[in-house]
Amino acid sequence: MKYILEAKDLSKRYQDKLALKGLNLQLETSEIFCLLGQNGAGKSTTINLLLGFLQPTSGAAFIHGLEVAQNPLAILKHLAYIPEQVMLYPNLTGLENLSLFSGLAGFSYSQEELMAYLQQAGLPANAAGKRVGTYSKGMRQKVGIAIAIAKHAKVLLLDEPTSGLDPKASNEFSELLLQLQAKGTAVLMATHDIFRAKEVGTRVGIMREGELVDVLPTQNLNANELEKLYLNYMHN
Amino acid sequence: MKKILLLIKFEALSFRADKGLLLLTALMLAAGLYSIYYGTQEIARQRENLAELEQLETHTIEELKKKYPGEADAGTVAYYFPVFAQNQPQPWAGLALGQRDVNPYYLKLRLLNLQAQLYDTENINPLKVLSGNFDLAFVLVYLFPLFIITLGYNVLSQEKERGTLPLLLSQPIRLSTVVISKLGFQVILVLGMAWLLSILGFIGAGISPDGRIALWLLVVTLYCLFWFGATFLVIALRKNSSFNAVILLGIWLVLTMVLPSLMNIYVTVSQPLPQGIDLTVQQREAMHSGWDKPKEETMQQFYALYPQWADDTPIKGRFSWHWYYAMHEMGDQAVKDLVQAYKSGLQKRQALTYDLSGFSLPVNAQAALNALAGTDLDSHLQFMESIEQYHVSLKEFYYPFLFRQLPFTHADYEKLPTHRFTTKPATDLVLGGITKLLFSTVLVMTGGYLFFQRKN
Amino acid sequence: MVKSIARKEFISTLRDKRFVTLSALLFFLLLTATLVGLHSFNQLQAERTAAQETVREQWVNQPDRHPHRVAHYGSFVFRPKSGLSFLDFGIDSYTGVSVFLEAHRQNSANFSQAQQSGSLIRFGEMTVAFVLQMLLPLLIIFLCFGAFTQEKESGTLKILLTQGITLRQIAWAKIRGYSQVTGLITGPALLVAGCFIFGLNSFEVNPEIFFRLFLFLSLYAVYFFICIAGSVIVSALSKSSRLALVSLLGIWILSCIIIPKAASNLGAGLYPAPTKAQMDADVHEEAVKGIDGHNPKDKRGEALLTSLLIQYRVDSVHQLPVNFEGIVMAEGEEYSSKVYQKHFEELQQTFHQQNSIAVWAGFFNPYLALRQLSMGLAGADFHHYVHFQQEAESYRYRFVQRLNELQATHITYGNKNQRLAAETWSTFEPFDYRAPSVGWVLVRHLIPLLALGGWLFLLLALGPKLIEKAQIV
Repeated sequence: MKYILEAKDLSKRYQDKLALKGLNLQLETSEIFCLLGQNGAGKSTTINLLLGFLQPTSGAAFIHGLEVAQNPLAILKHLAYIPEQVMLYPNLTGLENLSLFSGLAGFSYSQEELMAYLQQAGLPANAAGKRVGTYSKGMRQKVGIAIAIAKHAKVLLLDEPTSGLDPKASNEFSELLLQLQAKGTAVLMATHDIFRAKEVGTRVGIMREGELVDVLPTQNLNANELEKLYLNYMHN
Repeated sequence: MKKILLLIKFEALSFRADKGLLLLTALMLAAGLYSIYYGTQEIARQRENLAELEQLETHTIEELKKKYPGEADAGTVAYYFPVFAQNQPQPWAGLALGQRDVNPYYLKLRLLNLQAQLYDTENINPLKVLSGNFDLAFVLVYLFPLFIITLGYNVLSQEKERGTLPLLLSQPIRLSTVVISKLGFQVILVLGMAWLLSILGFIGAGISPDGRIALWLLVVTLYCLFWFGATFLVIALRKNSSFNAVILLGIWLVLTMVLPSLMNIYVTVSQPLPQGIDLTVQQREAMHSGWDKPKEETMQQFYALYPQWADDTPIKGRFSWHWYYAMHEMGDQAVKDLVQAYKSGLQKRQALTYDLSGFSLPVNAQAALNALAGTDLDSHLQFMESIEQYHVSLKEFYYPFLFRQLPFTHADYEKLPTHRFTTKPATDLVLGGITKLLFSTVLVMTGGYLFFQRKN
Repeated sequence: MVKSIARKEFISTLRDKRFVTLSALLFFLLLTATLVGLHSFNQLQAERTAAQETVREQWVNQPDRHPHRVAHYGSFVFRPKSGLSFLDFGIDSYTGVSVFLEAHRQNSANFSQAQQSGSLIRFGEMTVAFVLQMLLPLLIIFLCFGAFTQEKESGTLKILLTQGITLRQIAWAKIRGYSQVTGLITGPALLVAGCFIFGLNSFEVNPEIFFRLFLFLSLYAVYFFICIAGSVIVSALSKSSRLALVSLLGIWILSCIIIPKAASNLGAGLYPAPTKAQMDADVHEEAVKGIDGHNPKDKRGEALLTSLLIQYRVDSVHQLPVNFEGIVMAEGEEYSSKVYQKHFEELQQTFHQQNSIAVWAGFFNPYLALRQLSMGLAGADFHHYVHFQQEAESYRYRFVQRLNELQATHITYGNKNQRLAAETWSTFEPFDYRAPSVGWVLVRHLIPLLALGGWLFLLLALGPKLIEKAQIV
């Protein structure tokens, strides 16, 4: 097993629309791969295929060397996912939500450990015991991150994680990603935010109409160049 | 398994935090407790009323003894002394009152023509019986399905609608496990409440433990599981919450109201019963024509039936008690066929109802509970049957006095036969009902499971 | 503006396949209920008319008989179904239909439908009233729950409001549109039902029946309006469609299933009624204290005799120009009837008290108010039943007293073999029951009428204010 995440000629067709065309992608540990692209470019489809929520029309996806379509439950052990809108059970507290989800993932943590994860994700200690229904979007997302951290997954899938967050929260989020990277987690992040992609990503992929049209390492690339390149792709 | 327990635990946590559901649960419990109170009160009142009848009897005996200090004429005693046939409720009746409010639970009886007395009714408030009884059977048969529907209709759709589904599905767990665990918690909650209320009901009604307790709990459990199965089936369609609520309430409405009322129409149209009115009109005519006939004619007919009382002594004078009661007896004999037709009509109706009950589980469950409590039409027909027997034993008691002109002494009042009827539970009907319940429950549950897997 | 929104609601509802299916189902049920109602009306009416005629024939064709024999031979009366009872069976299925009338005794009304059915009848009967009172409001709920919430969820509410239309206008428009839809479902079914009624000539058509029908339909129209307006208001005040639907369904369950039963049961628990056996014993006891018709040795009998002897200036009962047995029996009947009336009225009073909880609950629950009125107009309510019982009793009293009078004047004292000629019997009037008028009905249903009016007023007065409280964001 060379790659922690791999897509081989991965395609998805909805009725008459080809949403993803032969995607080939490999991620190694400690890599942060950012997918850029317009709405409908195939970013979310890619993530859903990797999660096994969708069945590929052709090709295959592998997580930790296991084919996703063949092992729908097994691969989820290695994956953590944070949706664009982190929706939790509003009647339960942040702590309880975390306890539930990590329990479902097969972990049984003590209260202290759960608190530690929430703290690591940046949730203020006094908020952990309050109902999620009273949380802001940023706070909910922090619980989502805590769920992901507590799962000790090798791969983290993120769908537009910073959309709707204020700049301070976005910054904190980037810091957290770098911490996870340091621990060896591979991250695949779909985003519109070119600047943050450049800042945290090790590689950036540009998607258009279901195709991965370019992959660039972020080293030696500055944000303005990337933006120019991106817009260039979009106009053709 | 560990994950199922975890999901159940968190479902319980969510439930505890949901004020609306807590309120609903409290209301259900309150309704259940009220129903037990109401049902047992109602039966206690019937018992009191029945006990008062005995006082009425004693009172009449005292009056008669005062009026006839020495020996009395048995004919006069039989005429002025009504006795009461009693349908003693079982303690179970307090949990399922059934038809005990519509049908009289006692009957005032004299030695006269039986058919003129058998159909007399009790003082009932028709608006009240129209509204029906708020007994435990009502709570379990009508309200529990609504409770189950309210708990379960959005188990899956809610996760989708509030956006928690993707995060949940990104955990290594099957969707069916999630849905079944959530329903599992509700099954525990609902069955726990149903059992708790039933047990409180058993205690409140003063039921002595026997096999019927197991039957009752089995009916209740299967019935609740049927509704969970129906809910699961609708959930498996993967529609939104509003759609589920509408469809489930629709199913409830069709099964508890529309189908039973259509079935009722079918039963009454296909099995009309004009014989009741006919027979009361005809028995009067037959009985009273005795007054206009020579007494010997009546007596000859009577002796043909009762040769043991045959006596050639001609009746002197205008009136004689033994002729009078013979005439009444011949009034009954004249409408024998109509009575038989009426009875078999009622039985056919009941049989038809029983055959149709498979179409509607609530009818089935209600019928099973009523049969268990001895409060259905069958039990009433048995009571009527026992009244006929009682009337026979009254005749057997009085006839020697009347036809052998024996004096009726004060000691004879004590020898009058009494009547205490208690229905036996119709266990075969209950078991039949349980079979139907089991079949329907397994059907909806497998249907739901297959649907769910297919849609996966 | 209002008109075009109303039109939009109307058209989009008609294009909704699910709704059309439900309506078709309801239309079918309404027609079934009408046909079934008419069928059972005709069948029961025929049974009872035939029985009443048989009884009359038997009465007229009696041989020569002693009047007191005839008083014990007695008569039967059968309660005729009232004109509109095929629309709403009311309590008819639970009331006895045949009463045996004889001297000295007031018998119970026997052979109710409910007694001759198993438990099925307790699940409710398929009548036009059932469909209109319970099922149609449910359809209205499905129709209206999304009135505001769906516009909110799809964002169209904001767009509508920026066009310069007010919340109040939107609400009115919706109510109008939904009312049209409701009319479209009920109208044709009622029209078809009407054709059946008046086409079949099953019963006499008179202005009274038209007026009753008119009131019946108007009250239902008010009821539907209450349901529609109430649902639209709940929708306006709800956060989501789901919440609106669940609240409305909860209200429906509470109003149509739980409260009616609980109110009746509570009433019966609070005001227990005596048993018939106890009542009969009490009547007997009190009558005996006075004059027992069969026992002229009683003190009151003696007093009556003394006064008669003085009146006619004779020494013994044999010399009286009238038959003392007839006189004493007439007195006895009068006395025991008076006692019975007292107890009967007490019993009815108890039943009224029992029912009063459900009647007053109409102020909280329009379903209960309408149910009372509908039964009343159909002639199938409690008041009509009591009226019939009273008429039967007064008929009994009249013919028994006439027989006593015949005994007093045409039969010699102590002669039990003397008979009256057979021709006498045909001079007795037959039992001809006339149901009371609409005015009589309305006077007895002032509270539910007031309750329904109150609901209408409340919705018209408070509705607009509530609508304006709706949160747009």
